[in-house]
Amino acid sequence: MNKLIFAWALGLVSTTCFAQPRLPEHYYWEKMPNGLEVVVIENNKVPLATIQIAVKNGAYTEGPEYSGLSHLFEHMFFKANKDYPDQARFLKRTQELGAIWNGSTGTERVNYFFTFDKDSLDAGLRFMNAAIRFPIYRVEDMQKERPVVDGEFQRFESDPTSQLFLACQKKLWGDLVTRKNPIGIHEVINSATPEKMMIIKNKYYFPNNSILVICGDVKHEAAFVMTQNIFGSWESSGFDPQVKFPIPEFTPLSSTDYFVNESAIAQTPLEMYWWQGPDSRHDSASTVAADVFFTILGMNSSKWQQALVDKGLASIASAQYLTSKYVGPVFLYLMPNPHKLKALNDEVLNQVKQWGNDDYFTDAQLEDAKQILRRTSIRQKEKPSRLPDALTSSWCSTSLDYFTDYDDNCQKITRDDIKRFVNRYISGKPYVAGMIISPAMNKKFNSAADFKPAL
Amino acid sequence: MRMQPMIQIFFSSLFFLALTLESPAQTGNPYEMTVNGIKVIVQPSGNEIVEIRTILKAGVQNYPAEKAGIESLAMNALSECGTARDDKNSFKDKLDKVSAEISGNAGMDYADLRLNCIKSDLDAVWPLYVDALTTPRFDSMEFDRIRQDAINTLKSQASRPDNAINKLAKETAFAGRDYAKDPAGTEESVTKLSAADTKAYYTSLLTRSRMLIVVVADLDRSLLEKMLQQLTANIPEGKKIKLTRYSYTPTKNTFRSEKKEVATNYIEGITGGPQPGSPDYNPYTLAMRIFYDRHFLEVRTNNGLSYAPIVRFDGGLSPSTSVIVSTTNPDKYIAVFDQVVDKIKKEGFTADEVKNGKNVYVTRFFYTMETNAAQAASLASNEIQHNNWRRSLTINEDLKKVSLADVNRVFNKYVNHITWVYQGDTTKVNPALYIGMPGNKIPVSKLRKDNKN
Repeated sequence: MNKLIFAWALGLVSTTCFAQPRLPEHYYWEKMPNGLEVVVIENNKVPLATIQIAVKNGAYTEGPEYSGLSHLFEHMFFKANKDYPDQARFLKRTQELGAIWNGSTGTERVNYFFTFDKDSLDAGLRFMNAAIRFPIYRVEDMQKERPVVDGEFQRFESDPTSQLFLACQKKLWGDLVTRKNPIGIHEVINSATPEKMMIIKNKYYFPNNSILVICGDVKHEAAFVMTQNIFGSWESSGFDPQVKFPIPEFTPLSSTDYFVNESAIAQTPLEMYWWQGPDSRHDSASTVAADVFFTILGMNSSKWQQALVDKGLASIASAQYLTSKYVGPVFLYLMPNPHKLKALNDEVLNQVKQWGNDDYFTDAQLEDAKQILRRTSIRQKEKPSRLPDALTSSWCSTSLDYFTDYDDNCQKITRDDIKRFVNRYISGKPYVAGMIISPAMNKKFNSAADFKPAL
Repeated sequence: MRMQPMIQIFFSSLFFLALTLESPAQTGNPYEMTVNGIKVIVQPSGNEIVEIRTILKAGVQNYPAEKAGIESLAMNALSECGTARDDKNSFKDKLDKVSAEISGNAGMDYADLRLNCIKSDLDAVWPLYVDALTTPRFDSMEFDRIRQDAINTLKSQASRPDNAINKLAKETAFAGRDYAKDPAGTEESVTKLSAADTKAYYTSLLTRSRMLIVVVADLDRSLLEKMLQQLTANIPEGKKIKLTRYSYTPTKNTFRSEKKEVATNYIEGITGGPQPGSPDYNPYTLAMRIFYDRHFLEVRTNNGLSYAPIVRFDGGLSPSTSVIVSTTNPDKYIAVFDQVVDKIKKEGFTADEVKNGKNVYVTRFFYTMETNAAQAASLASNEIQHNNWRRSLTINEDLKKVSLADVNRVFNKYVNHITWVYQGDTTKVNPALYIGMPGNKIPVSKLRKDNKN
């Protein structure tokens, strides 16, 4: 165990002892007796307040029979509750508050957020409280919302990038693909009932499985008092949903899988390569090493960009890792030059093969990447209304300490950390490679024949 | 944690559109100055980020349709095809070193070259910016690369249904006009562009008469003035330009459809809107905000017809209003749309709606001022389109003066005939319903009964 992991392990221990987590300046944390964690971020750049509740729910909690229902649940949040019993009144209230609102469902987080005038904080928190604790699920409301959610799905399916993404996910995660696919399954969405909504609510929607973040032109002392007054009576489940309803472990890929999908709407080909990468439970150090390494690959001077983009084989060649609690994906997204498909495919494999080599990047590039990450962090803090999002994402998939230490830990990443990440998750490991292309172009370039692993 | 994937891996309750609202400034007093005859607008930022934009006016008015894409390629070449001092790799490597952004963009009404960096890096980045604007190399090999990238991107964009329907709507409504052009061009027009032609075009574009500079940063005024004098000293004055304005006013409903193999059907209706700078502009902005809510309530909430019912007012030099939906039931959608419009026309909006619309606008007003880049964009668009950059700072107060009568009046004035376009399963749509042929409308009483999913 290297020093980095050791430090994080210490952080984990301190959190489980209910000690104050490490947080950046002007961030204030409290845990209410019912288990609700509350973070107040004081930032008076504009006279607004943003509130966000995030719940440890999402695709990772869904077996096939519930696939897509965390997302439908998120939509129903904005439908009706005891104070605003239909969506017309709900929407009218958002307008009275002058609120910008939305929710999102991802793999490991569902969140709900409102931004409004700073003086509406108390009213906004009461509005959030009614929606999250006292929703009303009517059959007729669900009948109206199901096609809306399914319509979002259909829009997603109408995009070639998304089509390729979904096809890759099925091959990457196998039988557990629903645990990585928030958009779900049409039939499950279209047959959802109020009873299923209540099952989700009674499993996950408790204060001890949620975090509330208040950010903006607010004072933390007053905000904590409001929070206690409004959310104090929200009862704990008495159990940890993550323990009571455990997430099955993903099966490692057994072999590399290539496929070519034809789509009439894909006017230019797209390619993706996916690996099963690290996760924050088992290998936090590699989750950070991955970010640093892929920052190097994003630099113009990198061997990766020079070989693929500078030489005109692809318009886009990005490599990314998505930090996750349960096996985060590593993926390449390529927009090829259609006239150089074979050369691109050969070169991608050639490059990936070299990722673990000592000379794949220089010390100067490693240092530059760290400085890019440092400056990126400054830019990400520019927009106060987005600060809660980064925090809750970490809370769900890593920890508040991980969030706070992230910038410093990026600076500590060494060549050995990156090499370890590459060797453990990429080099010689099975992967999924997919291409989407129009039938005409496939025929013209014989793409299927050229899209295959190196011998 | 850090990176935002290029693919969507989460799903939202609301469809996100880029906000195009005006943003004000709160930190420090904004001012304008003139440097070498060029107007410079400066907004102190109160943070350590520097955003500078050099604007070149007129956008799609600058080139004929067969050359569409030339301004976009020219602006992109500034940071992608080297400068007199640096080849492309050297230029980009220096930017990477300090994680700064220098990028050229071409829009409908103007092009810009923007710089974004951390203030402490400005000394390293500024010479690169000056070189990019004033001594671009237009290296032919690099140009061939970015032209191929532009073609790939055009095709990729065309593969995305939201982009495709919007392009079709603009081409249909503005046929023969400047706004029918896509700044990115077409595969045909871009393929024909050479490095030499594009360089010559850029040389003709880079004149002081076209320029406006916007700075959102905490920089000493005299230092900034000196920097900008250096930037613009050798740029020729050029001919005075006059921006053309056009108001789209369809005289009847029309419907154009294209068969497309997608999982749902995409519909966009487009009509005109008030000119920027006119008294109708602010009331109409508010009217469209309220119309968005009414349309959302009926289309999505009450009838479950679409995930993303959008109403959007694009207030450029050729202003337009769009309603956009994706739906599996297009005939029912148009009946609901007609019902929403008819009700507003008959009964008008309510005083409460106008009051609440202003509340939401206030929130958005501040929400969009959170970044220097957004502030710079707002200052630039208000200056180009409204001839009044200060509007970016006063819009919040200006809107408070708008009355219910104003809002109702402008809705009736501008929302009349619609130019509809459709992509998807053409057997599922009855065009007659969209062009409003008598007797073909679904009775409103039947709407709820038919709402089976």
